[in-house]
Amino acid sequence: MNIQNIKIRSAILGQIRAFFQANEYLEVETPILAQELIPESTIEVFETTFSSEFHGERQFYLIPSPEVFMKKLIAKGSGNIYQITKSFRNSEQIGKDHNPEFTMLEWYTMDVNYLDSIKTTEDLFLSLCNKDTPSWFKPPFIKMSINEIFKEYISVDLLKCQTRILIKIEAEKLDLEIENTDTWEDIFNRIFLNFIEPKLPKNRPVILYNYPKQILCLAKELKGTPWRERWELYVNGIELANCYSEETDSGKVKNTLDTEYIKKISTSRVIPDIDSNYNLIFNSDFPECSGVALGIDRLVMLLTGSSSIEGVILFPFSDTLIRDCHSTSSETE
Amino acid sequence: MKAGAIYKGMALLIKGSPFLVVERDFVNPGKGSAFVRLKLKSPETGRVLKETMKTQDNIEEINVEDKECQYLYSDEESFHFMDNETYDQFEIPMEGFADHKLLMRDGDTYKIIMWEEKPLDIIIPFKVVYEVTEAFDGVKGDTVQGASKLVTIETGLEVKVPIFIKQGERIMINTETKEYIERVNS
Repeated sequence: MNIQNIKIRSAILGQIRAFFQANEYLEVETPILAQELIPESTIEVFETTFSSEFHGERQFYLIPSPEVFMKKLIAKGSGNIYQITKSFRNSEQIGKDHNPEFTMLEWYTMDVNYLDSIKTTEDLFLSLCNKDTPSWFKPPFIKMSINEIFKEYISVDLLKCQTRILIKIEAEKLDLEIENTDTWEDIFNRIFLNFIEPKLPKNRPVILYNYPKQILCLAKELKGTPWRERWELYVNGIELANCYSEETDSGKVKNTLDTEYIKKISTSRVIPDIDSNYNLIFNSDFPECSGVALGIDRLVMLLTGSSSIEGVILFPFSDTLIRDCHSTSSETE
Repeated sequence: MKAGAIYKGMALLIKGSPFLVVERDFVNPGKGSAFVRLKLKSPETGRVLKETMKTQDNIEEINVEDKECQYLYSDEESFHFMDNETYDQFEIPMEGFADHKLLMRDGDTYKIIMWEEKPLDIIIPFKVVYEVTEAFDGVKGDTVQGASKLVTIETGLEVKVPIFIKQGERIMINTETKEYIERVNS
C-alpha cells in the first residue's frame, strides 16, 4: 500500500466528479449485488447466497459492470448519467493490471454516438492534466480504425477476410497456430494480440475504432459495413476504456443476449439468473446514446507511474494467492 | 496442460527447447475470451520470446526440481553458488539474469530450478527487505505527484522512495518491479 498514491487517487476521483458535474451528468449509484444479470459469455461472475431464516436461500451475483442498471435508468428518462462503482470479475488474473474487485467509471451520454464520446473522453483527460502530466497521457488522442491498423502493420485487409477460412489463411501466413475450435473472433484476437497491440504507439493515447461485427456485443452495427460503432482506448499500451454507440433495437439486443446465453452455458462455471425481459427496456422511447467504461485503477496506475495495480488500491488481492492455487492444482494432477 | 495454468517461473518446452516464463499476463481483449500473454526466456541463450495464446491452448510443461543454494559471489561473467545439501559449488552464467545482480545478497540462500542437471532459474522472493546504504536528504518536491528521492540499497540498486527514508533504515522492495513498498521498523 502506498499512501502517496492513495492521495493522488482521491484527488483524481474528485476531479472526475467535478468534470461530470460541470457537464451536468447525474451521478448515480446502482446495486453491486444483483438478483439477475445479462449473459456475457466471456465473463465469469461471482455468486453469493442470500439466506433467510424463513424464506430459504437464493443466489445473488456481484456485477461485472453497472451497465444493466444504468441502461434501466436511461429507459426511465435519467438523461446523461455517470457512476464510479466497484465491479467484480472472477477467474481473471490477480496482480499487474487486474484485481477481481476493481473500480469502474461508466458514463452514458444521450443523443450522441461513439465518435462524439471520443471528444468527451479527451475533455475528461484534459481536466486531469497538470504541469507534470506526461505527454503520453495528453489529448488529442491518435485515432485509427481497426482495419487501417491491420493494413498498416501487417498488410491484412479485413474487408477481404470476412470468413473464418480467409482470416485463417492470413493468420497462418503470420506463423500463428490455429486450433480447429477457433472462431473468426479467436483468430482475429490471436493476430491482434500478437502483432497489433504490442506495437501500438505509446507517445499518445490511442483510440482504435470500428471493431469487426463478428465480435458480438451490444454496440450498434455501422450501417453498410462489417464493423460495429465501438472503440477501445489504449494509454501507454494499457487497455483503459471502451465505448459503444449503444444498441437500442430491442430485437437485436434480444438476439445478442440469446446467442451469448447459449455460449455461456457451454463455457462458464457460474450461470447467473438472467433478466429475460431486459430487451423490453429498449422501446421507442429509449434514446440513442453512447456509453464509455473506464478502469479507474488502471487510470490511477498510469497517472502515478505505478507499474502494478497493487500500488494504487488499498488492500489488493495478492498474486501469491494464485501461485498457491497453481501449486495445489499441479500437485493434485 | 492448458496455457491458462501457466504461472511465472515455470519451465515450458517450446519446439524442443526449455523456456522459463518470465512474465505471464492474462488479457481479455475488449470483453473477449481469455488469452495469456507470455514473455519467455531461454536459460541457455538468454533469448527472449513473446507469445500470446488462448488460455485453452495446450502446452508442454517440463519437470524440474529445485534446490536451496547459497549465493557466494559474482565475477564478471557468472554467479557462484553452493548447494546447501552437498556443498558442491557451481556457477550460473549471468547472461539472461541481468536483473538478479542488483537483487541478490551475498550469503543469502536462493532456490535454484534445475532441469536435467542444468540450472534454469534463480528464484528471488517477491518481497525482500534491504538496508538503505546511501541516502541524501530529500528536497521538498511537488506534493501533488508525491515527494520522492532516489536511494541506494545494499545490493547497489537505486530505488525511488518517499523523502522521509534515511540511510541505515530497512525498506521492503517488490523485486519484480524493483519498487519501494514500505519502510520496515525493527
